[in-house]
Amino acid sequence: MSANGAATVEAVKDAIYRSCLLLDDEKWEEWLSLCDDGFQYSIKAFSPEINYDMIYFSADRNHLSTMTEQLPKHNTDHSPLKRHSVVYTVDVGEDGKTATAVTSLVVYQNMLDGINSHLDSGENHLFLVGRYVDKLKVDNGRATFLEREVRLETRRLDKGSHWPI
Amino acid sequence: MPARNRKQWMTDPQLPRGDWVDSRVYSDPEIYEEELEKIFKKVWIPLCHESELPEPYDFRTATIAHEPVIMTRGPDNAVRAFLNVCPHRGMMIERRPSGSFLEGQPSGNPKRMTCMFHAWQFDMKGNCVYISREKEGYQDRICKEGQGLRRLRCEVGMGGFVWVCLDDQPEHSLEEWAGKPFECIREAIDTEPLEVFHYHKAIIGTNYKLWHDTNSEFYHDYMHYHNRVTGFNDEYFARKNIAFDHGHVNVSSFEVKYEEYEGFESREELSFPKFPPNQWYMVDLFPGMNFNLRGSAFRCDIVTPLGPNEVMIEFRGLGVKSDTPEQRRTRIDHHNSIWGPFGRNLHEDLIGVAGQGTAMRPGTEPRRILHGRHEDNYIHDEVGMRHYYDEWGKWVNRLPSDPTQAYKSPAAAAAE
Ligand code: FES
Ligand SMILES: [Fe+2]
Repeated sequence: MSANGAATVEAVKDAIYRSCLLLDDEKWEEWLSLCDDGFQYSIKAFSPEINYDMIYFSADRNHLSTMTEQLPKHNTDHSPLKRHSVVYTVDVGEDGKTATAVTSLVVYQNMLDGINSHLDSGENHLFLVGRYVDKLKVDNGRATFLEREVRLETRRLDKGSHWPI
Repeated sequence: MPARNRKQWMTDPQLPRGDWVDSRVYSDPEIYEEELEKIFKKVWIPLCHESELPEPYDFRTATIAHEPVIMTRGPDNAVRAFLNVCPHRGMMIERRPSGSFLEGQPSGNPKRMTCMFHAWQFDMKGNCVYISREKEGYQDRICKEGQGLRRLRCEVGMGGFVWVCLDDQPEHSLEEWAGKPFECIREAIDTEPLEVFHYHKAIIGTNYKLWHDTNSEFYHDYMHYHNRVTGFNDEYFARKNIAFDHGHVNVSSFEVKYEEYEGFESREELSFPKFPPNQWYMVDLFPGMNFNLRGSAFRCDIVTPLGPNEVMIEFRGLGVKSDTPEQRRTRIDHHNSIWGPFGRNLHEDLIGVAGQGTAMRPGTEPRRILHGRHEDNYIHDEVGMRHYYDEWGKWVNRLPSDPTQAYKSPAAAAAE
């Protein structure tokens, strides 16, 4: 790989890991600032129960922005979600300006007020397992998200979440 | 009233008995087992949708009241249900959630349900068609002709759901059982074949009836920011709860103003066959199934009780089979924005019932749970729950407001 290619891969990885930290910290606007104006986000899963490739959630950048702004008006489970991710592959496009990355993802829930905080606040359990499939553009060494598909394996989602994953 | 001491707190409310229930109906292990025997093994339960087994030899598995069930589609296109239990040594015959028997399995032939353990094989009608080394082991004492599966009552209906009843002699046909409450949406869901596009599940530490209660009362719209801003108008308050025989209820429609919630659009452009746009009907079936037709999206919740304090809820979303890809996409978005696992309302509903479950663990002291809002059956009237618990009391022969006593009608209890 060219030195340039290696730098692009690093920029992509950096953007993905930053996105995880910002999402972990519920810094929604800062997360969205890593995304292009035309950003498309979706959560999908294949269901062997109904034999259907499902879309659990989808939104563009504007929708995500209004949705996250309105979060304080909604009742919610405030147990923080913490991601553990490893970028498995980064494929840089021929133009050297776009890339597709596949990231292995595990999200743990750090129990706070979800069930009985006296018993389980502070406890962690597995919330979901999946992958990020991201498309990014790279300009001047900075990678910006064009598209994120969260591909879930988990279909037993219990209470679910109001938050982007 | 100021905060109460224990005696005051434990005193029955100044309301007729039908206006509250004792929390032991939600937490007592003995009552829970009785419910499985006396209710869940006796009534029609929708287990899946016909679109989940679209082709001959497709199957789908589920459970009712501890019992594993398999539904198959035969080469004659008929959907049948059986206990998913091998007559030999009792293994569960099929372990996958769904699939096809067209291809052979490691232990057996194509077009057969095969028990992997000792390779007994069954056809789509549940006939036992092969016992390995039959003569050598059983001589003429047991033969495959006498080893068919346990067949179960099975009907496809009410929008193409597959309904199963563990009782061979159910008191009512599916039509008699559920036809009336479904009338309000029958044309919308029975004019054209439907298809499931959404499935996810939740296992929640709460009693199954608490989920059904939440589906049966709209007073909790206070919990949903989305519903408050899109719904609290004159038309909403003109909706009525309507009680039907067998403990079922439905809620009449009104026009939802989706555009009042920032980021949402009207659902005018897409509906169901013969169903006016932006309408919203709800059908709550005893003992815990919910069908919710809201403009472009049709949701169904099926509960599988797992304990006095644990329930699995399966959530499905359905569209019309002939949807164009664009129409389907619109339905999926509309379903998910409110009812998906990452949508606005479902998460809140589940937090609500999980909180009730936490406060009503088996062993907590009996509390009175109020179902006493009377508003001429209008939307925040709790008649749906009152109607349900009166039916429930008859099935388990217990008085909902004091489950240690035998059932009495609300009128008889009030007269005491
Ligand atoms: S248990 Fe099924 S073949 Fe033996
Ligand atoms: Fe709700």
